[in-house]
Amino acid sequence: MEPIIELKQVTKSYGAKTVLKGINLTIYPGQVIGYIGPNGAGKSTTVKILCGLISDYEGEVIVAGIDIKTDPLAVKRRIGYVPELAELYDVLTPAEFLGFMGELYGMPKALAEDRMIKMLAAFGLEANADQRMDTFSKGMRQKVLIISGLLHNPDIIILDEPLSGLDANSVIIVKELLHKLAQDGKTIFYCSHMMDVVEKVSDRIVLINEGAVIADGSFEELQQQQGNQSLEKIFAHMTSKDSLSDAADQMMRAFEN
Amino acid sequence: MNIVNRFFLYLVLLPSKLYQKMGINTVQLASILSIKLMMDDRRPNTMHQANKRKQTKPISGATIGTMLVSALMGSFFLISFFVGSEMLTRFTIYFSFFIFVLSSTLIADFTSVLIDIRDNIIILPKPVTDKTFVVARLLHILIHISKLVVPMTLPAFILLGIRNGLLALPPFLLMVIAATLFTIFLINALYLIILKITTPEKFKVIISYFQIFFAILFYGGYQIVPRLIGKAVLDNYTINTASYAFFIPSYWFAGGWEFLHSFQFSVPLITCFLLSIFVPLASIYIVIKYFAPSFNQKLSMISGSEGESMPVIVSGIKQPRPKNSFINTIANLLTDAGAEKMAFLHTWKMTGRSRDFKLKVYPSLGYILVYFVMIFLRDKRPALSSIKQNSNTEKLIFISIIYFSSLILITAINQLMYSDKYKAAWIYFTTPIAKPGKIISGALKSLLVKFYLPIIVLTFFGAIIFEGPRVIPNLFLGLCNQLLIIFLIGYATIRNLPFAQAQNLSKSSFMRGLLTLLIPGTIAFLHYSIYTFMPVVIILSILSCIAAWLVMDALKNKGWEIITELKEGY
Repeated sequence: MEPIIELKQVTKSYGAKTVLKGINLTIYPGQVIGYIGPNGAGKSTTVKILCGLISDYEGEVIVAGIDIKTDPLAVKRRIGYVPELAELYDVLTPAEFLGFMGELYGMPKALAEDRMIKMLAAFGLEANADQRMDTFSKGMRQKVLIISGLLHNPDIIILDEPLSGLDANSVIIVKELLHKLAQDGKTIFYCSHMMDVVEKVSDRIVLINEGAVIADGSFEELQQQQGNQSLEKIFAHMTSKDSLSDAADQMMRAFEN
Repeated sequence: MNIVNRFFLYLVLLPSKLYQKMGINTVQLASILSIKLMMDDRRPNTMHQANKRKQTKPISGATIGTMLVSALMGSFFLISFFVGSEMLTRFTIYFSFFIFVLSSTLIADFTSVLIDIRDNIIILPKPVTDKTFVVARLLHILIHISKLVVPMTLPAFILLGIRNGLLALPPFLLMVIAATLFTIFLINALYLIILKITTPEKFKVIISYFQIFFAILFYGGYQIVPRLIGKAVLDNYTINTASYAFFIPSYWFAGGWEFLHSFQFSVPLITCFLLSIFVPLASIYIVIKYFAPSFNQKLSMISGSEGESMPVIVSGIKQPRPKNSFINTIANLLTDAGAEKMAFLHTWKMTGRSRDFKLKVYPSLGYILVYFVMIFLRDKRPALSSIKQNSNTEKLIFISIIYFSSLILITAINQLMYSDKYKAAWIYFTTPIAKPGKIISGALKSLLVKFYLPIIVLTFFGAIIFEGPRVIPNLFLGLCNQLLIIFLIGYATIRNLPFAQAQNLSKSSFMRGLLTLLIPGTIAFLHYSIYTFMPVVIILSILSCIAAWLVMDALKNKGWEIITELKEGY
């Protein structure tokens, strides 16, 4: 099978600080990749490179056989991106915002309209389609963002903490949705700090720390390497130098005087 | 979308064929532009954001408001056509106004309206070419500027048409366009310089200082310059004799107009004309060629560094914790321990660090300073000696200086409740605070020390030097009255906790506005009428001092029932 995403020796620095130190990844269609790492490990930078937001990196990034540097538009058309922060133009209504997204992807207006209404309805937002989003809760905004990433039916979906602010029922919907999208042959690149979710939804987990991949494999494979424990424990074991329970002890000792 | 936006959109999309030839996706271009214009229409008017706190909730038709305001500004510029001895001078002054006001408006608009960093996350991951995006941004800027410039220059067009005939208009139009391009270049250059010398995080802070500075300079210049120079001098003034004239950009545009209007082939006029055409063209070329691309990069840097910059953790070495600072000592002196002291320090830090607060309060500090200067410039002869001879003038100046300074405090108090981060006010509610009145009194004391103490010191020294010690009782009464005013206003009008309210959710309260003017006004009038009766002044000082103390105490003891203006959600 042809890989859908290939990163070869991708390096990126901001001034003197090297954020990515030669990332190599080969991802095949239909995989759900859980991309995890501590704060500042380089997750967001990788995502921004994949989305074409950062172009001054070194190394090679090939998406669906296309080098992102030579034809960024062709790559962007195949990617759906759900950003981490609830970044949207909140003076607009979901219908206006999503219509705008559809136009940027060059979708026919009727198709975008139809799909948007169905997707909003699925998330229970059809009544809010024509309300300005500045009155929306965090979860409602996140739902609109998720729809904006899926609207044009992309092959690759990049999600950055997509569950933040969602209530438990919506979390179930999104998790189920990810599963179905993957079955449909779509590739999902899932960045998160919520280890229990990553453990459940991902076919393959990529752990990065300080700009380098330090673990790569299915959850079972990681368990074989690191001992039979939860992803949370494996994560802590591989990325933290100090014992974390010491930190908790220290915390408790602060009460002593 | 309203008719104005639709018209401009139609206009800029006319050369669609040309755009397509340039490799621009016109469908995306149109959709980016229309969404941007739609958002502009729903945004509070940035031109007067500083003055306008009250907004009805869903804003629409902001465009019309902006246009009306800039038409009003444009009518002010007409003053320049009534001074000076000939058109060249008048146009120089006109274009100076124009460039200055336009750039100070655009400085604010560039960060808040025209360059929206959310674009980086929302539009750039979509299949939009950089070229399409940059052109969309440029056209958006063009439309936005047209919406300012057209109404701003309309009054001058009308006046010129009536006075100098219709033939005066086409050259003027050309020069307005040239001056506008030049202003855009100025703003771009300024932005790039600021981005060069500072970190993106500080960028907005610096821009806001520029805004404050511009606002004060404009107001001050408008009030003081004519008083300094005098009407007779102004009427005969001509810029032609000044050797530095060629260094003033507005002189080029004035000369360009003169040349096109009169067709005098004199060397200075031709030079002006050439400068007025080629400098803007060259500068706009530089903007498109060099600034626009790096602008995007810089801006993605702004948004990038917000998410990615990690806190610098100095491991191992323990940072020395700041000891009892100066302000802590003052807080200990002036406030009760606990909630009041906490509020004092909190307010002290917030007012020093919140961009929003500074942007709203500091310009008014500047205006009041300008007013002080104006009082002294009112008579063109040396003012102080004449003041001494005329005791009524003396009284008036004294009273107005003392009581006008309370306006500074009132502005600060009005702004005290508001913050972008109003939700952080949960700290007041989760901590066991019995009397929120203490928080208010602590905050007021903090404002008093920060904004009033320097003024007291200045006026005391100034008054004693100029007037001698006989003025001390009146000064003392003034001081006590100020304290009384502040605590009275605090007692009567504050219905919320410091920094606990969202800016645009406030409802305008007519009573509050009236009270805040009525209290100092009445007290100032009373003080004025007893100014010369020393015993009364002394007795009243003591009474006022006691009253201030009592009101403060009453304020401290106010309970939670006074906090009535809280947003739902706590």
